[in-house]
Amino acid sequence: MFEILKSMMKEEWRSHSTMFGSLMFFLFPVVISIFAFIGTLFLPILKNILPTSQIALLVHYVFVLFGLSVGAFGLFGREVMNRRFGQASMIAYSSRTLPVSEREIFLNFFIKDVIYYFFLWILPFVAGFASASPFISISLSYSWILAITLTLSFLIGLSISFFFSTIYVHSLKLLVGILFFAVFLEILASNFLYVNLLESLPSLSFFFSHSVEKIILSLGIIIVLSSFSIIFLKVDYPEKKRRFKNSLDSMAGKLKFGRYSFFIVKDFLDLKRSEGGVGKIIFSFLFPLAVIWLLLSVFLKIIPFSDFTVVFAVFLGVISSSMYNWLTEFDLFTSYSFLPVKVSTVIKSKLGSYILINSISLIILILVTLTGGSIYYFLPAVLSFLAVSSYTLSVTVYLTGLYPGTLLYNAKIFLLYFFLISPILLVLIFLSLFNPLYLFVSPLLAFPSFFLLKKSFAKWDEWNQPTF
Amino acid sequence: MKNVFETKNLTKNFGNLKAVDNVSLSVKEGELFGLLGPNGSGKTTMVKLLTGQIKPTRGTATVLGVNVLKNPIGVRELVGVMPEQENPPSFLTAEEYLHFVAKIRKLNDVEEKCSNWFELLEFEDQKEVLCKDLSRGTRQKLMFAQTFLHEPKLVFIDEPLINLDPIIQRKVKDYLIDFSKNGGTIFFCTHVLGIAEEICTSIGIIYRGRIIYEGTMKDLKRRRQHLEDFFLKIVKEA
Repeated sequence: MFEILKSMMKEEWRSHSTMFGSLMFFLFPVVISIFAFIGTLFLPILKNILPTSQIALLVHYVFVLFGLSVGAFGLFGREVMNRRFGQASMIAYSSRTLPVSEREIFLNFFIKDVIYYFFLWILPFVAGFASASPFISISLSYSWILAITLTLSFLIGLSISFFFSTIYVHSLKLLVGILFFAVFLEILASNFLYVNLLESLPSLSFFFSHSVEKIILSLGIIIVLSSFSIIFLKVDYPEKKRRFKNSLDSMAGKLKFGRYSFFIVKDFLDLKRSEGGVGKIIFSFLFPLAVIWLLLSVFLKIIPFSDFTVVFAVFLGVISSSMYNWLTEFDLFTSYSFLPVKVSTVIKSKLGSYILINSISLIILILVTLTGGSIYYFLPAVLSFLAVSSYTLSVTVYLTGLYPGTLLYNAKIFLLYFFLISPILLVLIFLSLFNPLYLFVSPLLAFPSFFLLKKSFAKWDEWNQPTF
Repeated sequence: MKNVFETKNLTKNFGNLKAVDNVSLSVKEGELFGLLGPNGSGKTTMVKLLTGQIKPTRGTATVLGVNVLKNPIGVRELVGVMPEQENPPSFLTAEEYLHFVAKIRKLNDVEEKCSNWFELLEFEDQKEVLCKDLSRGTRQKLMFAQTFLHEPKLVFIDEPLINLDPIIQRKVKDYLIDFSKNGGTIFFCTHVLGIAEEICTSIGIIYRGRIIYEGTMKDLKRRRQHLEDFFLKIVKEA
């Protein structure tokens, strides 16, 4: 049991550090610590804008979101691994060749994720907070509490993700039913029972008032959801050969993306045929978006003159760029490296696929505007969404090419990514707080986006591709 | 006969490992050249260098008159490559994959070309099956078909017969011999010496990244030497 866990840890470390060396990967938690340190030093200023309770809520939900996104890999795991490494080469697939059950493998996978991300994110974050605490007269005991509550928040997010992925594997209808029921409960609780579900997160409420019951409740949620995932784990390796008529040519004929059409159609066939890949991408994108939507609806009530649609559009722009990451996870350049295909051609085709998938984000923005936002600010919202989305995407492409899922864990790249994106976001959010119409300036981002993309194509064509 | 490719002092280092070490090699038009060597001797790295999939640490390579370092895409437009490890994309069918490759190579009469290959390698009944559900052998047939789909003058093939049954192996070997007799050139990597002895016209032996022998099969036959014995002897001496 321990050997499997140890090997999985090594595997995870090597898969990340292979591309950019162990040092840059090792520095990643150091960077997180520095960010947390600086962020904590700014807390006294931040407190003038937001109450402490809202800051704590934000931080805890960031870690829930993080847990959800780590767990989302569980949704895609098999297809991604299969695509990248071949079925037999990861320990996650060793149950077919070694006397180990799928459940044991999954349990190890779960524990590995917990340990790994605890040391990669949670511990460095808490260490940064603890180091800055004496400078702003916060008791060190808060760091211990934060270590517990953030870990619990992360675990809640992770186990929710695994829970939903288990339900999904058994029945999509059941999953949709549960999600609808959850939305119904939320509406019922907030409108009729006046319960704020966001603040009911047990790890968060433990942060405010410590009680054994809240810890037990948090652990209960984690244990029940993850036990459910392990007990009802369904792994089937279909024996049946799946057959399809050639739809590549006909679909490509309908697209007007020139020579990229075939690559784009390939992307869509990959997603469509890989056990509901499109649905999973949408799900893993909509889920964090729903949390952001809930958080914004709480925060923006406190901030006067803010318009929900516009601020939401800015965040939507950032989150939507994550779909590019998924598009690259399903493909690998080594499949093309022996053909006359440039890296930039594959990147351009991914951008084409991204544009098509991103229409979902636009639909969401329209729905959000119609259901609660201000129609008056719809145009600046759409413009800022498109501008932020293009800019974030071009930064991602410039810094990570076809490997965002791996290269963003390079400390240097992560820092560049952060400093290229966050100032722009802050400026746009501040502008929108003064007057949402100021966001008419956001299309100016098209210039750096265009510049970065142009640079990216040349940069990645020159790059020596990794050989795994 | 003119050279179809030439390398000068070609070297590729991976950290401290010299995968290809100062190789100067040329192959003439119409040859069926076998690059032989034990596992990890540098055969696959040579193919990747010659087809511009990786950049050399040092040295130059010219393939069909094109400088590989300056124009790797130009080289891959002209040649066919059958990699040892790469599989066709999992979620395309065999037929879709050949069409996909044909589109990348801007070919006409795709339908006819694909049908010919399905027929020749006897896997027409598998053309609508997803690549991930194909057997290893059928995947190898598919990769073989994509290598020759654009009728190149020079092909690089890395262990092309390993998963094929004896009937298809025979067909593939005959095809390779015919291809070479009709003026095509084959750069064929293998460690299966029996196959090399059967079909190659000339051979090179690579060991620890260095070419330790280069010659024709006729020379070996003249010396009445069995390829396996010769190979083991020369590798041991190196």
